Amino acid sequence: MSAPASPSCLSCKHFNHAPADLEAALPGLSSLSSAYAAVRGDDGICAVHQRYVTASSVCPAFA
Amino acid sequence: MAEIAQTARSRVIARRSPWGDLFRKEDWWSIWIGLGLIAVAVALFAGGGSIKWIAVAPQKWSHLSDVTLQLKQHALQYAALFVLWSVSFGIGAAALGIKISRFLPAFLLVYLAAGSIYFLGLWDQAAHYNLEPPLVALGLGLLVSNTLGVPRWLDPGLRVEFYIKTGIVLLGASLPLTLIAWAGPVAIVQAAIVSLATFGVIYFAAVRLGLDRRLAATLGTGGAVCGVSGAIAVGGAVGAKKEEVSVAISLVVLWAIVMIFLLPLVARALNLSTGVAGAWIGTSEFADAAGLAAAQTYGGYAGNVPGIAGNPDAAVSAFTLMKVIGRDMWIGVWAFVLSLIATARWERTAIQSKSRAAEIWNRFPKFVLGFIVASAVVTLVARGFDYAAYKKEVVPALVAPLQAFRTWAFTFAFLSIGLTTRIREFASIGARPFYAFTTGVVVNVVLGFVLSTQVFNEFWNRLGQ
Repeated sequence: MSAPASPSCLSCKHFNHAPADLEAALPGLSSLSSAYAAVRGDDGICAVHQRYVTASSVCPAFA
Repeated sequence: MAEIAQTARSRVIARRSPWGDLFRKEDWWSIWIGLGLIAVAVALFAGGGSIKWIAVAPQKWSHLSDVTLQLKQHALQYAALFVLWSVSFGIGAAALGIKISRFLPAFLLVYLAAGSIYFLGLWDQAAHYNLEPPLVALGLGLLVSNTLGVPRWLDPGLRVEFYIKTGIVLLGASLPLTLIAWAGPVAIVQAAIVSLATFGVIYFAAVRLGLDRRLAATLGTGGAVCGVSGAIAVGGAVGAKKEEVSVAISLVVLWAIVMIFLLPLVARALNLSTGVAGAWIGTSEFADAAGLAAAQTYGGYAGNVPGIAGNPDAAVSAFTLMKVIGRDMWIGVWAFVLSLIATARWERTAIQSKSRAAEIWNRFPKFVLGFIVASAVVTLVARGFDYAAYKKEVVPALVAPLQAFRTWAFTFAFLSIGLTTRIREFASIGARPFYAFTTGVVVNVVLGFVLSTQVFNEFWNRLGQ
């Protein structure tokens, strides 16, 4: 069962952690690793700050 | 990025159950596929049969007519093997969100190309012309992707990590658990020395060159721990800029490709034994797939190149112990510690990251568990056999077919590395990150060489025997 949403990057509209999008946004990622790998966790890209961050991060630009 | 933000709006906003990872992460699917094949192989073996019919592999040949004959005689087996791989990887790919209708046509081409390369490697003149299958697969892939280009429809079938992790799980079946327990601690000590030294050199060189600490840490773990995987794990944990992660990825890929060719070449010139060379490659290569390409190449020299001593499989075994047990397993710890330091000590960014010890498990490369379980299962099965009976009964009916599966999976991966690597992407690497990373590469290679050939050489030589 899923826990309720929290105001972290995971539920922010600016945050993208879709594996296919990450592999497109980070060239070379699929050559010797993968966005589907466990080591990535749920990290993704923040479109506002242009940073690669963990899903549990927070910021004032949350939307 | 606007497109990415647009896509993100439709994202699921509830936190996912951790159990969901069992079906949405590649690591777990490599375990299900690898251990699934091993379970079927063991069940058939226990009933007096073998999985070897479907684990078909090319045999040595001299003339093209031999190849034609082999293909005619085993056509049904090769077709069945394609179906087995297609179903296994296809289900996994579908669970990961890759459309099976897009995966299958691409995989068919990967299978056919990998089969051709596998056959080429079994030519009795292959060693004479340096046609080692991993290097041929990689070289061919690089040539095609950087000259003709790779059509988009092929992308879904080029899953380097999926194939390599499945191969590593299968590799566990040919490594006794006692060997992992015996060699694991030495691998951890050697890898720890080199990882800490390499990280320190890259990090401090990068900071001295005026680079941001988050980029320095991302570069450092990319070079010291587990390549691109290390770079993305730490890049996310410390909240690096997107382009910084891109730079780290490009640098790792660049040097990993160079090392695939360079390390076996130098080891061969120095007549290193397979165990020693495997340990060196495991210490000084940056990524699992790249290192396995180099180690398998070197293993192929044993018995074919004068002066190379040791068991052919020892290079891959030593590499795997060093890289997987000694380095990969610790990535969660690196990410957690660096996220703590980033939060407490480094200049703040607009985004606040949370350092959670749970990340150590979240980022743990789970395929390592599959590798260890595979080893335990086959060790258990082999317990009732003495050495002669093991060689006569267990190897041909159980271990050899699983090794054939592994070689197929690795060949899919090696080909995919070349086909997904675009040399023009290296142009975006700046001079300062390049200098910092390259300084670490030099330290890593020299230190790895000294530890493998001088300090622990007797140990790695014994592994090769």
